[in-house]
Amino acid sequence: MVKNYAILLVIIFSGLLQFSCSSEETYVPIQQSAATSPVIFNPEATPFNTLSEYHFFEGNLKDLSPVLGVLPYQPINSLFTDYAHKKRFIWMPENQKATYVNDYSILNFPDGTVFIKNFYYQNTLPNNLPRIIETRLMYKSNEGWKFANYIWNDNQTEAYFDLSGSYTDVTFIENGVTRNTTYRIPSAAECFTCHKSEINSIPIGPKPQNLNKDLAYADGVKNQLQKWIEIGYLEDNLPNTINTVSNWQDPTSTLNDRIRGYLDINCAHCHSQDRHCDYRPVRFAFGDYQGEVSLGVCVDPDTPIAPYSKIVEPNNIARSLIHFRLNNTQEEYRMPLLGRTLIHQEGVILLEQWITSLTQNCE
Amino acid sequence: MKKPLLTILICLITFLIKAQTNSNSCLDANTDTAIVGPGVFTINGIIDGTEIPTPICAANGTGATNGEWYRYIPTNDYTVTISTDLTQNSGKDTRLHIYSGTCGNLTCVAGDDDSGTNFLSIAEFNVIAGTTYYIAFDDKWNDSGFDWQLTEGAVVLPPPPAPVTFTQQTLPTTGTNRAVVDMNGDFLDDVVAVTATNININYQLATGGFNTVNIATTSADFTPNWSLAAADFDANGYTDLLYGAGQGVTFMKANDTGTGFTEISGSEYVFSQRSNFADLNMDGHLDAFVCHDVEPTVYYINDGNGNLQYYQSTVGTAPFNLGDYSSGGHYGSIFVDYDNDGDSDLFIAKCGGEEARRLNQMYRNDSYYDASNTLVVNYTEVASQIGLSDPMQTWSSSWGDFDNDGDMDVFVGASSGSHKLMRNDLDATTGIVTFTDVTAGSGVLDMTDTGIENVTYDFDNDGILDLASNGNILIGNGDMTFNLYTSILPSAGSFGDLNTDGFIDAFSSAGSIYMNDTTTNNWITLNTVGNVSNINGIGARITIETALGSQIRDVRSGDGFRYMNTLNTHFGLGTATTITSLTVEWPSGIVDVILNPTINQTLNIIEGQNQLSLDEFLLSDLILYPNPTTHSLNLNYENHLLKNTEYSVFDMNGRQVLKGILNANVLDVSNIQSGNYILKIISNGNIKAQKFIKN
Repeated sequence: MVKNYAILLVIIFSGLLQFSCSSEETYVPIQQSAATSPVIFNPEATPFNTLSEYHFFEGNLKDLSPVLGVLPYQPINSLFTDYAHKKRFIWMPENQKATYVNDYSILNFPDGTVFIKNFYYQNTLPNNLPRIIETRLMYKSNEGWKFANYIWNDNQTEAYFDLSGSYTDVTFIENGVTRNTTYRIPSAAECFTCHKSEINSIPIGPKPQNLNKDLAYADGVKNQLQKWIEIGYLEDNLPNTINTVSNWQDPTSTLNDRIRGYLDINCAHCHSQDRHCDYRPVRFAFGDYQGEVSLGVCVDPDTPIAPYSKIVEPNNIARSLIHFRLNNTQEEYRMPLLGRTLIHQEGVILLEQWITSLTQNCE
Repeated sequence: MKKPLLTILICLITFLIKAQTNSNSCLDANTDTAIVGPGVFTINGIIDGTEIPTPICAANGTGATNGEWYRYIPTNDYTVTISTDLTQNSGKDTRLHIYSGTCGNLTCVAGDDDSGTNFLSIAEFNVIAGTTYYIAFDDKWNDSGFDWQLTEGAVVLPPPPAPVTFTQQTLPTTGTNRAVVDMNGDFLDDVVAVTATNININYQLATGGFNTVNIATTSADFTPNWSLAAADFDANGYTDLLYGAGQGVTFMKANDTGTGFTEISGSEYVFSQRSNFADLNMDGHLDAFVCHDVEPTVYYINDGNGNLQYYQSTVGTAPFNLGDYSSGGHYGSIFVDYDNDGDSDLFIAKCGGEEARRLNQMYRNDSYYDASNTLVVNYTEVASQIGLSDPMQTWSSSWGDFDNDGDMDVFVGASSGSHKLMRNDLDATTGIVTFTDVTAGSGVLDMTDTGIENVTYDFDNDGILDLASNGNILIGNGDMTFNLYTSILPSAGSFGDLNTDGFIDAFSSAGSIYMNDTTTNNWITLNTVGNVSNINGIGARITIETALGSQIRDVRSGDGFRYMNTLNTHFGLGTATTITSLTVEWPSGIVDVILNPTINQTLNIIEGQNQLSLDEFLLSDLILYPNPTTHSLNLNYENHLLKNTEYSVFDMNGRQVLKGILNANVLDVSNIQSGNYILKIISNGNIKAQKFIKN
């Protein structure tokens, strides 16, 4: 009886909350209950032509107000994609749950799991309006993970299936800086290039190392993994401690921890075993870390580009190839290879601080 | 008494050694005391002299804003070492230039950026007594002062230089440097740099030097960040360009006066890697091919009017599957006739991901004329059959006949890991090809650098192909072994002949000509002009015979990874003074033969103008039987046993349809269509021909 009251309270509360793109840090609460999720999702069927057909959201579609069973989540670090914001949700079929593998691996998700990732800019010109660009789905069918992508119309009332890849120009203000980008909406092949292990598609973010943080739900702040357990999305067998990445933006963490967090989410999807660029002598994944050499410190680059002597030359930004790659917009040189056309100024500053902090002499 | 004298002496010596202070310019150094012997010298404070050392005698180019200068006049001949690699300089980053000559007209003697520990500098050079040298440091990396040391030692003769050296010259360009190729049909290699809205061409002048022209273009949807290829695909006499970008492909089609370009940008998503022009369907018109990093490869078929139709391997009505791995891994495409059957095959260097994705591929062209005399073109992937299906990590390969035995060998340059050198062991009697790994002991592994740019030329014109790999040269010895000379060429750039002296030069991506200092060897340069075949003669096989033996080349557009190199065909001849015969086997099957062409010149060869008439060789002493035949022909030539005898079979249109080596007096003709043919053999230098009918 007490429990039912609580659910009722939550439902009333969520109705009062006006959810919009601007409230990125606050989410409507989700409760698994006797009620059934209104989501319509068949992982074995052809994706719907429109986003609204899945019933992931209620009310105005552009408010991205999740229905019962569609749970917001945030990884600790996320890939830089030309300053786009991302609003993420996960949904699972009834009575299905993910299981823990280890701190560094994606959870073992049940068939029918859907990740819903909305890419938007908060303040686009000329009218200082938010604009949702695309909603990417990644879902697990009995043949493995698959992609679907929905591109939003101009008046933000619907998004339409399109996996062929396209461009859209965006002018936006972020941190007080006005920037232009010809935003790339990826094709299926581009999705796969980053989201792959050998011939299989895989998610990148949802690993315990990257989910183990508190999130402000409408019914209070809670650790995400605990929340997932609570609503039945994750089996309750986590270890007592989880080796967790540092938030690259967290000034209270060490520079080494911050850069590891940054490089893990921005670089490891290619530079890991069986990935697109597995052959380069770097291993940026958080769980692959064997010391600074994993990040390229004092490591010779395979492809010589003058005057960069090492991938990371300690205390020498001007000779560090990684800095040239990250502080570059020329597509044959820039890293990451996909997903960015602008320089991530804040990331480059962190990289510079870290390189400058290194003191060893390379032999 | 003794002690004060010692003190004075020490002071005096110290004074002598330390007296020479840094000067702000070359001219200031002339008025300051010259260094005349060894010592340790100090630049106090910061490098703030106003004269920036120039020319730059060390690596890593421009960027300095100040310099410090010294004058040095040795009292004897020495081998001198200048070093900043001193313990007190730990953590500093210096750069050094040493000159002879006079202020304002200085010549580099030596220089160094980073040969010392970390980023300190060491240079060693020989000096002549009484000559004035200038020693200058710049602030390219760091402006803080430091100590440096000059030591004098007995003269050490320098090691013999590489068989070929290059002298750098600057050539200002606008845009991204991508090509050394003739653009205006005069067969002189030009230098091409591009931006999205401009094509900057430095036209080579017959009188030497360049004429710079900028041709504005509409804004290209895609720019050649990943590769550029060039050829005259609309056959109007002016070279067209292909820009391979990370998200698509743009063609720039030159107009009929070469004064403007029409942009043609495809809407298709292509993550371009190496691009090429080649006649994929062998219809006489150049098609374009682009490796795709993350999908099957794409190509553009020419309709004969310069219009290109897009296809992607395995998709829809694509006529050919050429590089069909679903998630790509296609990096370095190169067209080569590896099996000597007269048509171009396609090798793709591959990289990244699971083993199946990165197995190198060879698409064998199995073209033939069917019963209705229609050419049928098929490609079959055969890498595993011939020993080239290798999961190494590579972005480009160099194809050439490194041992001059008449077939194309390959150096597969590692992008990561170890390079591979594979010898083509083609059996000309059976036509069966196997490649043998001859990497070990070949000298190519002396090159520990990896990279993405690998091409082959005969840089020293000794008649043996060399390799250029990421700035290094491997000088070929003609027996599948090479000697390494490091850091001679730019690590990335284009190749061609920028002063038409018959020696291959380079143009660096950074904008410097590397002009070949030449040798005394002879050479010939050939320009192939097709008419039945494509206008550039791409895909033609050229063979020359000299006293040193034979050499072969294939005409191609698109080798290495990113850049475009000359379309001209270049042979070094070594000391040979005559070419006994020069044969061009065109993709059409037409064969032109030129006897005793003049050497040390450029020769234009127009398809079909030097076809060998076989009528005069139709002699009764070559008897073929049975005639007509269905399967095989027996040969009787004055009862000679025919061993190691070259043969060719021509149809009545003069097209070569079959060739190889006879090792017995019998020839299998079962695979050619019914019709009338002429068999040509070369026995002991004598050409013999006879007609036969295939039923």
